[in-house]
Amino acid sequence: MKRLHATALTAILFGVAAFAQTPATPPPAAQPAPVAITDADVKNVEAPKAELRAKGDPDGSLTGTVADVAVSDSKKGLTIADVINQVGQNKIAVNFTWTLVCGFLVMFMQAGFAVVETGLCRAKNANHTMMMNFMVYGAGMLAYWLIGFTLQMGGVGGVGNLGGVTPLATEYAITIFGKTFGLFGQTGLFLTQGHTYDVGVMVVFLFQMVFMDTALTIVTGTAAERWKFSAFIVSSFIMGALIYPLFANWAWGGGWLATLGTNFGLGKGYVDFAGSGVVHAVGGLSALAMGILIGPRIGKFSRDGRPHAMPGHDIVLVLTGCFILAFGWFGFNPGSTLGASGNGSLRIGSVAVNTMLAGMGGAFTSMLYMWLRYGKPDASMSGNGLLAGLVAITAPSGFVNTVCAVIIGLIAGVLVCIAVEFVEKSMKVDDPVGAISVHGVNGLWGVISVGLFADGKSNYGGSWNGVTGSVTGLFYGDASQFVAQLIGVSTLVGFVFVMSFVINFAIDVFIGQRVSAAAELEGLDLPEMGALGYPEFELRTPATAGAQ
Amino acid sequence: MTLIGLLITLLGFIISFLGLGLTTSTGVRMTMAIAGILISLFGIIGLINRSYMKTAIWRR
Repeated sequence: MKRLHATALTAILFGVAAFAQTPATPPPAAQPAPVAITDADVKNVEAPKAELRAKGDPDGSLTGTVADVAVSDSKKGLTIADVINQVGQNKIAVNFTWTLVCGFLVMFMQAGFAVVETGLCRAKNANHTMMMNFMVYGAGMLAYWLIGFTLQMGGVGGVGNLGGVTPLATEYAITIFGKTFGLFGQTGLFLTQGHTYDVGVMVVFLFQMVFMDTALTIVTGTAAERWKFSAFIVSSFIMGALIYPLFANWAWGGGWLATLGTNFGLGKGYVDFAGSGVVHAVGGLSALAMGILIGPRIGKFSRDGRPHAMPGHDIVLVLTGCFILAFGWFGFNPGSTLGASGNGSLRIGSVAVNTMLAGMGGAFTSMLYMWLRYGKPDASMSGNGLLAGLVAITAPSGFVNTVCAVIIGLIAGVLVCIAVEFVEKSMKVDDPVGAISVHGVNGLWGVISVGLFADGKSNYGGSWNGVTGSVTGLFYGDASQFVAQLIGVSTLVGFVFVMSFVINFAIDVFIGQRVSAAAELEGLDLPEMGALGYPEFELRTPATAGAQ
Repeated sequence: MTLIGLLITLLGFIISFLGLGLTTSTGVRMTMAIAGILISLFGIIGLINRSYMKTAIWRR
């Protein structure tokens, strides 16, 4: 009986509370008929008086008014059409500015990669490692401008947020299983061919170019301290011209992976928001191909195959570089909306928060893993954990909630530690900076995690890759999206790796990938670059240290 | 062995790819994709890398 009373009391209280929170609804009033705005209405809008403007505008209330709306015909004065055109231009201007600024941030990541890699290498190779990271920007950009951009984006067909970019509309495709498979774009050579001298195309080029360069610079980390500079230039050029653009076309340029949804009913097709697969896995798997081909540094393994630590020369550089990269990642992921206005682009806030959470999740678990396993919280592996979390969240950042973002980052932090051990101890591949584990392994993890964790809440204009609806992963009910992601992973591991390996093998045959043993022992700064990175330092190699 | 490894790695991709046309079942496609990935990984780790390890600089 007491229980019944309590239940009744609770019901009454909740009823009162609910009533208290719900204002009384007034009876619906008759809605006035909508009135069309005419040109006369906009002409009546008064601009601030000239004498007022002449006094300055300290609070900003007089700046940005009707006086600033461009008039197309001065005889007619301001019209509705002028106002609407200004609204459209403002939207595109916001999106251009957003995408360009994010592109500038991603470009600055090159500096982050440069100092991370240099810090993790020995001082005798500082100049060489910095120069590789510096010139990968030039070699990659030239190749991408010449042909890479055309192959990647020449058939993308339109980017609404950037005003259409309609000239990029020629995709070479073949038919298999009765379906069209886009293979590469055909418009945009030198950014002039096929009417691509276009403001929107320029924005797309800048943003995609810096992404491509990120992929290229991953390889320099794995092959550091033994890569012949001439071979590095040729390899980077070909990767920027062919390897990267091909997969990027399939995923982002309207190619066959993007159309797995429309062609085969697999979710929304292969989905990779900002490039865990396109950028990081392509870079990481190319790095793995190079790591196997070029072989380990002299002294990395003893005759019985035991690995030896070859510590980098500056952990301050390494962690500073990681911070620069984390900063740049705010351009990498949120910028991949290609706009801040329209088509669901306001999700940039969610994308940015997911990015920072996953990065720190990765740093945290990798620090814990190393602490528990080896007794100390390793600084360089904490940095790699941060990068692993960032790499992993890159593909799903636009489609997951914060809880899943943290889970993805936490897993990435452990994964990178296990992968580093596996690559070094089991595969006996020498990767001085851990690029294969950070970018390759976690790039693949990022691609898979879209297929698992995408929560179906995003809405980028109502569809993705031409399929209506929101990207939804296995855990939220769409197993077919997971399959699409697996097809992407298989393409990366089975095709991109092979292509990278074959091309770099050919370079090895014709140019030679590796420096001489003498140059490697001396350090590559003098033999390859002609100048030491730290000319006023006395560098002690194991040989000289033993002599003292 | 390197060449065989490359072919096996490529074969893994082809198996995943064929799953698209051979069936409309999500489960079968998923199985074929996972099998393809594993075969490719075997090609890389078990064949290509092992082949290079035989002549690695630290063995000399």
